[in-house]
Amino acid sequence: MPRTTRPRYRPAAPLGGRTPVGSTRRTSMIALAFLSPALVILTVFVAWPMLSALRLSFTDASGFGREEYVGLENYVRVFTDPDVLQAMGNTAYYAILFTPAAIVIALVLALLVNHPLLPWRGAFRTALFVPFVVSLAVAAFAWSYLLDPQIGLLNHWLRGAGIQLGNVLQDPVLAMPAVALVAVWKSFGFYLVIFIAGLQEIPGSLYEAARVDGASAWQRFRHITLPMLSNTLAFVMIVALIAALQAFDQIYVMTGGGPYGTTQTVVMEIYTSGFKKLELGFASALSYVLLLITLVLSLIQFRFFGRREKDAQ
Amino acid sequence: MNRNPAKAAATAAVLALAGAAMSGCSAAAEPEGPVQLTFWHGYTEADGDVLQKIVDDFNASQDEVQIKTEVKTWAVIDDTLLPALSADEGPDIVAMPGERMPVYADRGAFADLGDWYGSDDGGTSALNEQAVDMVTVDGAPYGVPTGFVPLSVFYNKTLFAAAGITDAPTTWDEWLDAAKKLTVDADGDGTPEQYGLALPDHDTVANGLWPSLFYGAGGDLVEDAKTAVVDSEENREALDYWVSAIRDDKISPTGLDGIGADELFSSGKAAMHVGGPWMASIAKDNGIDYGIAALPAGPADQAASAIGVAMGVTAQADDAKVEGAEAFFSYFLGKDVATEWSLGSGWPPLRTDIAADAVSDNPTVVALTDIAPTSRALLPGVVNSVDVLDAIDDLTQRAVAGEDIDGLLSTAQDAVQSALK
Amino acid sequence: MTAVANRGRMPSPHRRGRARASSILLLIVALVATAVVLLPIAVIVFTAFKPVGEVNAYPPTLLPENWTLDNLIAIFRELPFARLILNSFVFAGGVTAFALVFDSLAAYALARLDFRGSRVLLIAIIASLMIPFQATLVPIYQLVSDLGWVNSYAGLIAPRAADAFGIFFLRQFFLSLPRDLDNAARLDGASEWRIFTSVVIPNAKPALLTLAIFTFVNNWNDLLWPLVFTTDAEMGTITSGLTLLTGPGGIIPQGVMMAGSLIAVLPLVIMFLLVQRRFIESVASTGLK
Repeated sequence: MPRTTRPRYRPAAPLGGRTPVGSTRRTSMIALAFLSPALVILTVFVAWPMLSALRLSFTDASGFGREEYVGLENYVRVFTDPDVLQAMGNTAYYAILFTPAAIVIALVLALLVNHPLLPWRGAFRTALFVPFVVSLAVAAFAWSYLLDPQIGLLNHWLRGAGIQLGNVLQDPVLAMPAVALVAVWKSFGFYLVIFIAGLQEIPGSLYEAARVDGASAWQRFRHITLPMLSNTLAFVMIVALIAALQAFDQIYVMTGGGPYGTTQTVVMEIYTSGFKKLELGFASALSYVLLLITLVLSLIQFRFFGRREKDAQ
Repeated sequence: MNRNPAKAAATAAVLALAGAAMSGCSAAAEPEGPVQLTFWHGYTEADGDVLQKIVDDFNASQDEVQIKTEVKTWAVIDDTLLPALSADEGPDIVAMPGERMPVYADRGAFADLGDWYGSDDGGTSALNEQAVDMVTVDGAPYGVPTGFVPLSVFYNKTLFAAAGITDAPTTWDEWLDAAKKLTVDADGDGTPEQYGLALPDHDTVANGLWPSLFYGAGGDLVEDAKTAVVDSEENREALDYWVSAIRDDKISPTGLDGIGADELFSSGKAAMHVGGPWMASIAKDNGIDYGIAALPAGPADQAASAIGVAMGVTAQADDAKVEGAEAFFSYFLGKDVATEWSLGSGWPPLRTDIAADAVSDNPTVVALTDIAPTSRALLPGVVNSVDVLDAIDDLTQRAVAGEDIDGLLSTAQDAVQSALK
Repeated sequence: MTAVANRGRMPSPHRRGRARASSILLLIVALVATAVVLLPIAVIVFTAFKPVGEVNAYPPTLLPENWTLDNLIAIFRELPFARLILNSFVFAGGVTAFALVFDSLAAYALARLDFRGSRVLLIAIIASLMIPFQATLVPIYQLVSDLGWVNSYAGLIAPRAADAFGIFFLRQFFLSLPRDLDNAARLDGASEWRIFTSVVIPNAKPALLTLAIFTFVNNWNDLLWPLVFTTDAEMGTITSGLTLLTGPGGIIPQGVMMAGSLIAVLPLVIMFLLVQRRFIESVASTGLK
């Protein structure tokens, strides 16, 4: 087999991609055929409701009863309401805590659990995946219980070691990292499995060739693993970012947005204004602002990642 | 294998039309029969059984109205009512915690029951006035109370005896005194093993603890649902008194919430707790010999915030259904049924003309009935209670954490006022 | 994997010793990571068997002193358990089955077929993931209600029979599959459908399994969706049914909640254990060169 210094299989650029098949009308018709079942579902149950929500965002609707067109009032409020601005700041902070942590931990553990020298890989893989299988609300309860200042196991054990945890979930400084930690704990298992699937697609022969060439473990990682994982990485990064920006479940259960609104995220705010204050119009506006911010951030993230990927090759 | 998307869309449209036609059809073709009502409520376990019996009895007692109940938890009702109402798939009658009613009423979810209140033959006039305030928005009543009970003090008789306390405290000074005696820090590490009084500083039981303390000092939160009166000398006095009790005398942990306080008491780690009637069965399940007492009187008043539940008729009910619902409400408020409901739910009777000896079968109910006159509805008629209560929670939580009370009161005043506009 | 990486190499004693040390090191790291990760799970499992008095006891213990089945019994006694589990399977299974088919079809088009608007469509699909469901819940509900599908399996499953997440995920995966095989097939005159079914899908088993797991677990655990779309207690899922177990004061006792979570989680863990073995087998058999 001829020795090559470049991987033989170049994955297509993460979010673009052309195939040798030229674009023709026939291709378009075939594509439509493949797409249509999904498109019907998505159009009826996703696109249409999104458009409804967009329309609602220009009204003062509560979801039922009377509604009036209010123009851009809701959007103005999004950018001037101090509670909403605080929620945006909190969400940004949460995303910074969650996204890198979840991805790095998942990647490192994927490499660990994929390593040929580790015994009982299957058992470890299953064990690490279990948190994902538990629902986030239940996970949040379990963690709240562990962190309870009076009867929590973690507080108790750490007190024995001389560390006073105090009331973590009501501490303005510790509360956000704590809820981010719970999300990392719950989600990394899924990213782990995705990375494993990606890692197992990499032909062992590439590593063989590199090892023979004298490449170190780090070099093999940087020049084979990372590029071959680029599609997977692009996916995980976007999905993790979206999940981070939409944080809700565990915060609702563990802190309710407190203390003093320091863990109030944008989606908590959307939920409260839509379902508690019955201001569905405003909630819709806030949702669209979140969508736009997420879209912009994702494009930035992908562009940055795309450039690095080109450098790596 | 060319699937035509247009055809698929057409199919969906046909399905939609068929669905609509079928529902329309059944309504038109329905024979003259009893009016059918659906009733969503959150009474589970024993309460739920008693309510179900009352509903069944009502159904059996006449032919014009039949009610079908659907039991979900209060939280689930709150989350699912909005989408259901938006598609006219909601219930005809729905019960919800009292403080949720104003926002739904303001948005037009409930039917105005003013006429019925005016004409009812003595049922509504015997209701506790504060309970009626709870369901009134801008002068119009939108619901019927199903439960209205003041917060009360639950105390651990065993711990009382061990500390040599024989009577439940009746004034703030006695209360503080007892709490201090009941706070035990045997190993002197600064953290008591046993607390005298569990005082949560946010998310308190029915959000009513600190309002009750404010009332005791003569203060209040909101006047006439329009003006914030948070920043007052009286409220300052209440905060000073109890914050120093928590911080300096350590009668309670800081950063506690209502559920945490429930747990502290039921695990025997707190000798006293301010809670709702359900603490009676929880205490019993945890083997605690408990007593119930009224919230002690403050320097200005003896009052306790009420935990309230109410039911209303939704706007999607047509005239016939509204009449049917009103018939049920009248039945529900009749003296016998009200007594039955009180005994079964463990909450004091809704009618003030039911004497304590009529409910003597349930001592918890008797105790609570005696306290009932001191109850006050929380934020009656206030539509945006969510933001008001958030502001109050911030105020109390920060105060207990040690921040400057004057500044906090001023901030809370502004926050509450802007929530009331 | 071990075979692929070490094929054709004879381990020298030195290498074997180093390999041994590495193994042990890796093992320690893996064990520590697993212990940390599984601690909350242990809490859930053990609290399920604790009597009411012990749940709030101080000092707290991990293991119960008096193991009790009361919590589990309460669940079986108070809920139409068999029906709820069935509904969970139908709902989660139905969504997963449809989504796998529809998503992979769409993902193939986006990954392998070049057509005008493919980029825009992809971005639109990804963008739909960026709006929180709280904003679209009411409009979707109105739709489902108009179709007359409230309180039915159709209403639960149809809106999720295809999902943006799955399409995006599979597209990325299909992109990373080598094109040589399908290009060769194309040159041979095979139709796209043929390529899809004979070349791409068989090589995509790990991804399909992963997506299946993800979709099934998420829908199984979904609380709000079945709560909103079913009002009939008999049509709920096990997770929505568990919310009915509130005790006095509207709070679910922790022991019962944990027991309920155990019951809800058990089928998932069993399924994952079964699938997990096939997962490894299917990857080993794709025979990448």
